[in-house]
Amino acid sequence: MEKIIIALAGNPNVGKSTLFNGLTGMRQHVGNWPGKTVERKEGTFKYNDYEIDVVDLPGNYSLTAYSIEEIVSRDYIVDEHPDVIVNILEAANLERNLYLTVQMLELGANVVLALNMNKAADDKGYKINADRLSKLLGIPVVKFEAIDDTGREELLQTIVKASKSPNNVINRLEYGSEIDEHIGQLEKIVNEDISGIDAPSSWIALKLLEDDDEVVEKIKESGKGQRVLSEAKKIRGHLDNIFGDDADAAITDARYGFIAGLMQESVKKPKIDKVTRSDIIDRIVTNKYLGIPIFLLIMWLTFQITFTIGDPLGGYIEEGFGLLGEAITASLGEGFLTSFLVDGIIGGVGGVLVFVPIIFLLFLILSVLEDSGYLARAAFVMDRFMHKLVGLHGKSFIPMILGFGCAVPGIMATRTLENERDRFLTMLIVPFMSCSARLPVYALIVAAFFTAYQGWVIFSLYLLGIVVAIIVASIFKKTIFKGMSAPFVMELPPYRLPTVKGAIIHMWERGVLFLRKAGTIILAVSIIIWALSSLPIGVDYASQESVTGQIGTALSPIFAPLGFGEWQATVAIIYGFLAKEVVVSTFGILYGVGEEASDEPAPSEEGTGEETSAEPASGEEISTEGASGEKTSAEGEEATAEEEEEPAPEEDAGFIAAIQSLFTPLSAYAYLVFVLLYIPCLATLAVIKRETNSWKWPAFAAGYTFVVAYVVSFIVFQGGSLLGFA
Amino acid sequence: MTLAMGNADEKLKILQVGHGEKFKKRLSDMGIYKDAQVRIIRNDIPGPLILDIKGSRLILGRGQAQKIMVEGV
Repeated sequence: MEKIIIALAGNPNVGKSTLFNGLTGMRQHVGNWPGKTVERKEGTFKYNDYEIDVVDLPGNYSLTAYSIEEIVSRDYIVDEHPDVIVNILEAANLERNLYLTVQMLELGANVVLALNMNKAADDKGYKINADRLSKLLGIPVVKFEAIDDTGREELLQTIVKASKSPNNVINRLEYGSEIDEHIGQLEKIVNEDISGIDAPSSWIALKLLEDDDEVVEKIKESGKGQRVLSEAKKIRGHLDNIFGDDADAAITDARYGFIAGLMQESVKKPKIDKVTRSDIIDRIVTNKYLGIPIFLLIMWLTFQITFTIGDPLGGYIEEGFGLLGEAITASLGEGFLTSFLVDGIIGGVGGVLVFVPIIFLLFLILSVLEDSGYLARAAFVMDRFMHKLVGLHGKSFIPMILGFGCAVPGIMATRTLENERDRFLTMLIVPFMSCSARLPVYALIVAAFFTAYQGWVIFSLYLLGIVVAIIVASIFKKTIFKGMSAPFVMELPPYRLPTVKGAIIHMWERGVLFLRKAGTIILAVSIIIWALSSLPIGVDYASQESVTGQIGTALSPIFAPLGFGEWQATVAIIYGFLAKEVVVSTFGILYGVGEEASDEPAPSEEGTGEETSAEPASGEEISTEGASGEKTSAEGEEATAEEEEEPAPEEDAGFIAAIQSLFTPLSAYAYLVFVLLYIPCLATLAVIKRETNSWKWPAFAAGYTFVVAYVVSFIVFQGGSLLGFA
Repeated sequence: MTLAMGNADEKLKILQVGHGEKFKKRLSDMGIYKDAQVRIIRNDIPGPLILDIKGSRLILGRGQAQKIMVEGV
């Protein structure tokens, strides 16, 4: 079977991923480009007698050295020589899309143009003559639809044909006589002096005229570049004089001019632009007055759906692990191995897996919102607030929203931010959003101390997280991320109906990363924590005599000024580093409640437990109502599956009493503040490491959030004490 | 006048892009460069603008639009 390697290239949002998924199905591999944080997607499929390898290049507008994605793409074209590059273009947006095409042709790539979304172009009244365009450019042009099979066969045939007889059309590109002449001049010297750069010499010449940092660097490295570089500098000066502008602006102009010529010859446009459906939707969605309410409604629905469906599913997983734990205990009896499996692995990894349904659902809905084009509108709507408050632009808002569900997808979503400073800053503040894992902790403490003000206390914590994020962001913006706020330019893709397949693949790609983490890092840390809690041999699991207990006892004085200097509270904080909801299960273990099963109770249950202890006669209904009423006021997000009513350890009045003896209301609130703000959970730190490709940022995130948590809790406790709250 | 001063539905020609080298390049890659034509789609909130560039829709921050000089066509 013959092998063909093809690469998919194109602007963002042109349907590249849709075609990629359509061709390869689940036979994909997602990795990173070597040494880069840019995702590299590869897949294979069979077509007739060919095995075709597909590489999905990052979505780009250009092939300059502006971003890592662009460098990755052009290095790939130059170094790995794919047989065919399938350049996908949005038919309705042909002129701007061709800018990238021209640059790939400059590189001498064997390009096939694939026009996608032709119906949208028809709606706009564009008549695209594909044959004419193909003749003018000298490369094949195929119309197809990425979402279904329309034109797929023709596209594949064309790809195979192009792989047999490659088209190299460098000579067809024209930049005007002045520039062409200088390119030729420079090209000659490049040919004479430079060897070992595997790219067309005309491209090197062109890039030198554009003063492309990377190419200049490579020429310098070759050692024989003096003549070329000085000549290039001379020509650039000359062109500056002629055009009254820098040479690369003149080249850009020339490219667009060339494209305008192509357009004129091959596309008929109506005299007056037709109003598209996308524009009509945008009139409402980005409306001055309606934009924000619509945005809030969509976010509210997102969380509502996620938690209503996801919470019960998580409950099943939790029950499943509970049963598994019981089964293990039953078959192996009490002992070392049982403790390892039940307390260590199930308690640790299982506790995190409980959140898998919520995370997958959130990903699914967000994929749909993203694929439909709505998230770009959300960035538009929220930009002015982000700008004023945080000094970040609208795109940073999307990761923060995701952070309310879970910081892991939130941090992954920072990939859409081009500017590295903005990206890192956003990553550092996303963990302050109250994620779903913190709710059980809030609920437990609130149940023990703040019955009358449940909703307000929880709401205040959500708000505090946001306020701290804003303050921290503005401090960082003035210090470590100093400089102008990144300029904001972003394409608004036309609305389109997301495909089921696309959304599911999207969800899966992101969700699997989380699962993998649960299987590796979280597993490892669970084992470490378990070991520390079991040693020295003979002590009760996680008792004060165990290593954990001793560490807790030793470290507890640090937290005394914050009002919670008891060793149990300290141990819970240490464990909470694994995943914040573990704070609850730790108290459970320390006070001997809920031994093997339900370690992570759902948020509702504490409310229930609390109410029962306060007013034993009132029963569950009232508490459920109360909780949901207040929670809606809090954020909408956590108005969750209150229906779930399995007996939880927190219904144990003794447990509540134990918690009440550990804290005063004031120290309990300080504790909540600390849990909200302190070191992001392990999964979050791991994803920060992955996304920044360095240990520096997760270490910094852990360090500074600890300081922030300590300071804010200190202020809350000491300030509260001074004001006379006990 | 600057691009930020334009009204919705106004067709404009870009005279000068007063940005640094890198961002200027970025803008030109996306179709905003000297001599290019733009049409303003939305410019009514104290935030970014929505533009029509060669048939595509771009969001551009207000601060960035203030540094682009345009004239009516």
